Amino acid sequence: METFIQQLINGLSLGSVYALIAVGYSLVYSVLLFSNFAHGGFLVIGGYICYYALRSGGANIWVASFAALIGAGISAIIVERLAYRPIRERTPITLYMLIASMGMSIVIENIFVVTVGGRFRALPPVIPTDPVNFLGLATTSAFDILSLVTAVVFLAGLQLFLVRTKWGLAIRAASYNLKTAGLMGVNVNRLISIVFFVAGLLAGVGGIFLSVRYTLYPQLGSMITTKAFVAAVIGGLGSLPGAVIGSIILGLAEMLTAGFISSQFRDLVVFGILIITLIVRPTGLFGKSVGEKV
Amino acid sequence: MEGYAVGVITLLAINCIAAMGVSLFTGFTGIFTLGHAGYMAIGAYTAAILTVEYGLHFIPAIIAGGILAMILAYLIGLPTLKLVGDYYAIVSLGLGEAIRLIIENWNSVTRGARGYPGIDGFTSMPVAVGFFVVLAVAMFFLVNSSYGRTFKACRDDYVAASLLGFNTAHYRNLSLAISGFYCGVSGALIAGYMSFIQPIMFDMAKSTELVSIVVFGGLGSMSGCLLGTTILTLVTELFRPISQYRMLIYGLVLVLVMVLRPEGIMGTNELTPSYLKKLFSRKKTGTAEEGAR
Repeated sequence: METFIQQLINGLSLGSVYALIAVGYSLVYSVLLFSNFAHGGFLVIGGYICYYALRSGGANIWVASFAALIGAGISAIIVERLAYRPIRERTPITLYMLIASMGMSIVIENIFVVTVGGRFRALPPVIPTDPVNFLGLATTSAFDILSLVTAVVFLAGLQLFLVRTKWGLAIRAASYNLKTAGLMGVNVNRLISIVFFVAGLLAGVGGIFLSVRYTLYPQLGSMITTKAFVAAVIGGLGSLPGAVIGSIILGLAEMLTAGFISSQFRDLVVFGILIITLIVRPTGLFGKSVGEKV
Repeated sequence: MEGYAVGVITLLAINCIAAMGVSLFTGFTGIFTLGHAGYMAIGAYTAAILTVEYGLHFIPAIIAGGILAMILAYLIGLPTLKLVGDYYAIVSLGLGEAIRLIIENWNSVTRGARGYPGIDGFTSMPVAVGFFVVLAVAMFFLVNSSYGRTFKACRDDYVAASLLGFNTAHYRNLSLAISGFYCGVSGALIAGYMSFIQPIMFDMAKSTELVSIVVFGGLGSMSGCLLGTTILTLVTELFRPISQYRMLIYGLVLVLVMVLRPEGIMGTNELTPSYLKKLFSRKKTGTAEEGAR
């Protein structure tokens, strides 16, 4: 029982970090209707900025994380400007952006391989990882609780941004129909930049927590993004609550498999859940139906 | 011929076989896949196990690898090809990774993550080129047959195709099975070329590479896909001395092609004498941009 509660908390904490990444990915999908495979790159950029701000810059964790979030957000805007906007302006076929995003993810990963090397790096011990007794039921680490709380705070912040602000309204309008939103007087290019900035920023938060959990290396992004994609697809592409619920399901499945069966099977369970969900519900749990009118 | 050139040509023939398979499925039937490395893994392990443990001759072993991949692709396609667009792409990614993870964890048969050593190096240059020629001729006949035209109809407008009475679900599945066969054969040839296979060789990066080769060459052009494979394989070989920049350049090429010429180097044109004639007559009168192609 104690292991169960412990793994439950671990799973929720891992799932909430996946949620930060999956929500950013889903946000981009809902507006531009393409899978941004370079999303994991922003996570790695955030992780490395945080690492170097702490190690070489001597900054404290607050300054370092702030720099990491802004850096990841800005790099997302730059990627959009350089790679996606020229394609977007020329053709409506989203497949080309998908391929370009695969190329960008290879580029970002290998920029780090070339400049700082492919070795594993551990962040300095700035985030507490000592064991905490959870309501006398189970022991868990402070890190898990902290990442859960942080993720909830950022997701709530995103929800407030989408519901309360003018740009949030514009983003919600664009997720129904980008072209019509443009005709209604929304500056589409600025809107897309804002969407990418928010997505990059959330990926940066996820990047810091994941590099503490798994250590930091250039390929961290592609491993995690695959999981976040799977989470977003299980929830239904373009649906933000779907992305959160999909992430929680995956986080729990992964940790419960690791705790009760074997940690070798956790990835297999993740992909198994993906395949079964899509066979039963082809557009994910909360996805819009993509049927075509004849 | 010196050993290095022989090796490059063998590798090129093997890559071309896999690229033709993916080109049929993605370029001609229009379904985007991110999991075809899984079928290569099936072919590679089948050929390796049959030749090492059962002492089978390598030619039936290679064909068996292709057929097993084909059967598996057909069975996988039955429930999953109902999915459209990005959903199929993601589920194929999941399937490809699931195949790899099963191979990695099935220690008693596949010897797990450490890999499968001691395969007889049966893929010499004549074997690889021979398989390539036979499969390429078959593929060119296939895409110009009524089947090929039906695949293209499913790609261009599957609603219209099904209104015309084509069973589009069946043709999509058939296309996946055939492309699975090509990838399986290619994987089996890799096993014989490397003499050692490992699950990690057939991961998501390999699937991504296959799709990007096809898109680079031109969706819907079989000769374009062969040209794309040749260029990318040779580029990878040329940059081997500065190997740490190799993948960076590869990614940049991919992004640049998408930004500058998203339809790929050949578009939907085939490299036929009439196309070349058109290209050169345009070059005399046309703009500099046309000539640069």
